[in-house]
Amino acid sequence: MTSLWWLALPTLLLPIWWHRKKRVQVKAEPLASARFLPRTEPRQMRVWRWSDIALLIVRCLLLACAIAWLADPVFPWRGDTVVVAQGTDAQWVEREVNAAGYAEAARLPLPAAEALAWIRSHEREFKPEARLLVLGDIPMPATVPQFRRPVMLHTLAKPVPRTEAHVAIVSTRPQEWQRMFAALDGPLRVVLDKTAGPATELIVWDAPDAPPAAMRAPLWWTSEAGAFTELAQSKALDGMRYADGARGRVWASNAWPPSDPGAARALLETWRELHYAPVPYTAPPMAFAAANVSPVDYASGALRDFLMLALVALFAIERILTHARRS
Amino acid sequence: MALVSSALLAHTTDLELVIRHVLAGLGQGVHAGRERGAGVEFSEYRAYAPGDEWRRVDWKLLARADRYYVREAERDSHVAVWLLLDASASMAEPSRSIGGLDKLGYARTLLACIAAIAQRQGDAFGLAVLSAGRVQFLPAARGPRQLQRVLAKLKQVQAGGELPNADVLRTGLRFTASPSLLFAATDFLDWPSSLSDALIRLRHMRHDVRAVCLQTEAECEGSFDSGPAYRDPERDASVFRFGADLREGYLRNREAHFASVTASLRANDVLHVAARIEQAPGEVLRQWLRQRLGNGARR
Repeated sequence: MTSLWWLALPTLLLPIWWHRKKRVQVKAEPLASARFLPRTEPRQMRVWRWSDIALLIVRCLLLACAIAWLADPVFPWRGDTVVVAQGTDAQWVEREVNAAGYAEAARLPLPAAEALAWIRSHEREFKPEARLLVLGDIPMPATVPQFRRPVMLHTLAKPVPRTEAHVAIVSTRPQEWQRMFAALDGPLRVVLDKTAGPATELIVWDAPDAPPAAMRAPLWWTSEAGAFTELAQSKALDGMRYADGARGRVWASNAWPPSDPGAARALLETWRELHYAPVPYTAPPMAFAAANVSPVDYASGALRDFLMLALVALFAIERILTHARRS
Repeated sequence: MALVSSALLAHTTDLELVIRHVLAGLGQGVHAGRERGAGVEFSEYRAYAPGDEWRRVDWKLLARADRYYVREAERDSHVAVWLLLDASASMAEPSRSIGGLDKLGYARTLLACIAAIAQRQGDAFGLAVLSAGRVQFLPAARGPRQLQRVLAKLKQVQAGGELPNADVLRTGLRFTASPSLLFAATDFLDWPSSLSDALIRLRHMRHDVRAVCLQTEAECEGSFDSGPAYRDPERDASVFRFGADLREGYLRNREAHFASVTASLRANDVLHVAARIEQAPGEVLRQWLRQRLGNGARR
């Protein structure tokens, strides 16, 4: 839409009109012996003359600059490009680049999560014939991205980094709980602490008496609802009650420790989903065909800062020249 | 010695410098002849010689030096020289071939030279400038100071306006009844005019009237640029055009005009010289003065 501002270019005619000398003068030189010549009709001499040419030029440039700043022009300068997600295995990248025939293309490292959005918003910086290849562990976008040019996407899922969760078990039947935590698969690993410390993220309190007041953790699991006073007015969900207290959040259920694998998996999944970030899902290799999408949400061009500087400088010069002309 | 050319004239406004060079180029014909005798302007002391008038002896000097000295003064010429300068707007007409030279500047030079000659010969001289409908009058007097006054006045003159009308001119030119020489520099484009009437009237009053008619080369040959439109500097605001097709008509009109001027001047025995301002001023000056000599009048 910003390119509609180019339609304002005819405003350049205004200073040109102002600086043109309006008076059409009949230029006649004095000649003493003119009386010996026949009279004639005064000739209209339409001569374009300019006053204050420097000021006129500066004003025209100022207007042009302002319009260009509004129109936000972008010069397509990027050729064939390989967008590489940061942290991608270099050897795999080389193999993919050579295989796809992008050996001459420019490399552009970008954060994996922003790569596709960046391409979408900077699409007009690419030359019309430029090809685009995206490499790396690109997360699957929620909707299928659409570009105005074909884009190839080759992905390589990176091994998910393992995270550790410190768990303290205070129970009369700790083996059952340990067996359940040992069955946990995925990037989350459980480290069992003997006693609850500051790093402990989950305390399993499977004892009838109340826990000491100084013991704190973000999450407590308990099968003895009587041990936690805050559970008196708790909400229940899927046979489990939960409440927030001074020690942390408490989940309580009489059915714990879970006796069957399904219940154990459900409990562990719920815990992981609610308390740990989801593991990103790497997008499958895709080829996006060119789509006729609206060019609305483009990023502003790199010329904009330069144009703003030029605008300020020209404005200052214009003021100085105007002042000099008056005085 | 080579005569000062008009091109050099256009390069300086120093009239004294111009006079020195122009008069140096004139040669022997009008060299300064100075006679001494009784007069107003003191010149020098001279030892008394038998035959001198007693009233010319300086008695104070006799008392101081115990010798007789006679006061010598510049000889008083009974001829007054009048310089008449037409400074109407048409005199600003420039030379189309020499930059910076115009009729007024040329007339100024000629009259300054005449003034210098008159001063050297001990004549009284005065100046009348006609411009913008007025007469600026400088009464006749003798001596170097008068020359300075005349030169200063000439330097100030700017061309503009029209000639004064006949009444102004009659009251403005207050000449005495004594015979005088009148040098008038004008372009004679207005004829008959108040100036022509005045010149003829003065001639009838037995003054020796001589006029220089200043022209430019382009005027004489009809070689104006056909590009621009032209206007008459002294008349109404009509516009005139010049072109190759109009040249013949222009020359014919001009010829007829100046033929009538010449005839009128000749009929009234007014001497006149037609001069192009591109000519060397010394040459014109010699012509102007030689006519006078040829006529038998001596100063």
